[in-house]
Amino acid sequence: MRIELAQIRPYLGDIPRNLEKHVEVVETSSADCVVFPELSLTGYVLRDLVYELYRESQKAVERLAEASGKRCVVAGTLREVRRGVIRNSAAVIIDGSVDYVYKFYLPTYGLFEERRYFQRGDPARDLKVFSYRGWSFGVMICEDAWHPEPAEALALMGADLIIVPAASPMRRLSKDLAIKDNWEALLKAHSLMNAVWTVFVNTVGSQEEEYFWGGSMVVSPLGDVRLRLKLFEEDRGVYEISEGELLRARYFSSFRDHIAEFHKVLWDLH
Amino acid sequence: MLEYVRSALSIDCDAVVGYLVKRLRDYFEESGARGGVVGLSGGVDSSVVGLLLAKATPNFFFLLMPSSSTPQRDVEDAMKIVKLAGGEGKYAIIPIDEYVDALAKAAGTDDKVVVGNIKARVRMVLLYAYAQKLGYLVVGTGDKSELLLGYFTKYGDGGVDILPIGDLYKTQVRQLGRCLGVPEEIIQKPPSPALWAGQTAEGEIGVDYETIDSILYLRYEEMRSPEEVAAMLGVDRSVVDRIDSMVRRNQHKRLPPEIFRLSGRAIGSDWRYPRRYWNVKL
Repeated sequence: MRIELAQIRPYLGDIPRNLEKHVEVVETSSADCVVFPELSLTGYVLRDLVYELYRESQKAVERLAEASGKRCVVAGTLREVRRGVIRNSAAVIIDGSVDYVYKFYLPTYGLFEERRYFQRGDPARDLKVFSYRGWSFGVMICEDAWHPEPAEALALMGADLIIVPAASPMRRLSKDLAIKDNWEALLKAHSLMNAVWTVFVNTVGSQEEEYFWGGSMVVSPLGDVRLRLKLFEEDRGVYEISEGELLRARYFSSFRDHIAEFHKVLWDLH
Repeated sequence: MLEYVRSALSIDCDAVVGYLVKRLRDYFEESGARGGVVGLSGGVDSSVVGLLLAKATPNFFFLLMPSSSTPQRDVEDAMKIVKLAGGEGKYAIIPIDEYVDALAKAAGTDDKVVVGNIKARVRMVLLYAYAQKLGYLVVGTGDKSELLLGYFTKYGDGGVDILPIGDLYKTQVRQLGRCLGVPEEIIQKPPSPALWAGQTAEGEIGVDYETIDSILYLRYEEMRSPEEVAAMLGVDRSVVDRIDSMVRRNQHKRLPPEIFRLSGRAIGSDWRYPRRYWNVKL
């Protein structure tokens, strides 16, 4: 399966403009599956605009689905799950039909304030694995990659590929880009521990005081970074994930030795 | 004004006056300031703030800073407030034309809007000079309608330490003015920054304050849609849109300047100490 990483710069709150960009990327893509960043249709630093934009954002998803043809598209959107209850969501469009994945871990430290606006997903109901062109994949949004369980659950549910739409803001530029190294370490760990491909697609550009650093990447099940997009600017890249490496990773690792008793202990500890 | 909105915006004057006076006293005490200075324009906002300040503390000072575009009547009205507040010996009249002219000349402009903003900023400079001299704070006179519309000069009348009536719409400030004994001719006077001759707020914005406040309240406190607000008030949708657009366009005036993030903890969204923590032992 050929996957396009669409590292776009969303304009905060400007859904028509962002939608136009999505459609343009999808229509010009040679890939089977096109992945956009977290909240790519609306921009990330929305604050109270969340309440003004969720309806329009959902309509934009329908428009994007119409433009997607037979492709698979993953795009970031707001979604109202009950009247007045909104979630940070990724629309997963396959063959023109739309399903949604929700963010579980909502960051509320430092600059983040997601729990002020969003309801978090419920693992019991909202963990989903999709099938497309012979591949099973899961989607987890940004902060969910900073915890072991979402990726582990998706892998155990059958995912061979985990897609991570993100909106990671730049921090500590003065030395090296520490946040990029952090992300690379996390993605490699998810790939290695779960024997899956991981595809990380980050937002790029400025929103309010923040600057999103881009640097989207593909990590193989063997823990190698196979594709890197540019830092600090819009970029697109296509990568074809292969079965061979997935199999080798699974033959020669203890990935399949999942000891569920650990989760019992964790449950009793929490 | 629509009865529904009128009733929502009607205030218990005694309670609000008591509350604001208490908040002023608390703020002076917590900030370590001795008192406050306020610029009186002869309009209802500064009249109300001046009287609240005089109730809160004997340590107040009023500045009257007329320019060539200030109607004589405004100076007379401001003097009525000085008397009402018992401010004899606690005020100064400083005509500002010579400073404004010098700055306009230095900036090489005679554009009425640019020069008008210079006037507002000259007043700010004088207020801060007096405040520092006296160990006082600059008490601002902006009301909620003006702050939401962005109908003020950035770092001019917007350059202040506190905004005691910043959560009261213009029509509510008028109610407060009546209970505080502000003369009716001041309350009835069309609001004006008087930055140039003949300027009025309602003339510039194109709608009267009763309509402005109704739109602001229904749009932003009740979060109703523009169509619904237009229908409720029986005004054209374009009027609601114009108010909306002013509110949105001027958001920058209500926020501190943007700082481009570089570090792990920037002064901005991840710097959330209380405003006053200088006296907290750490």
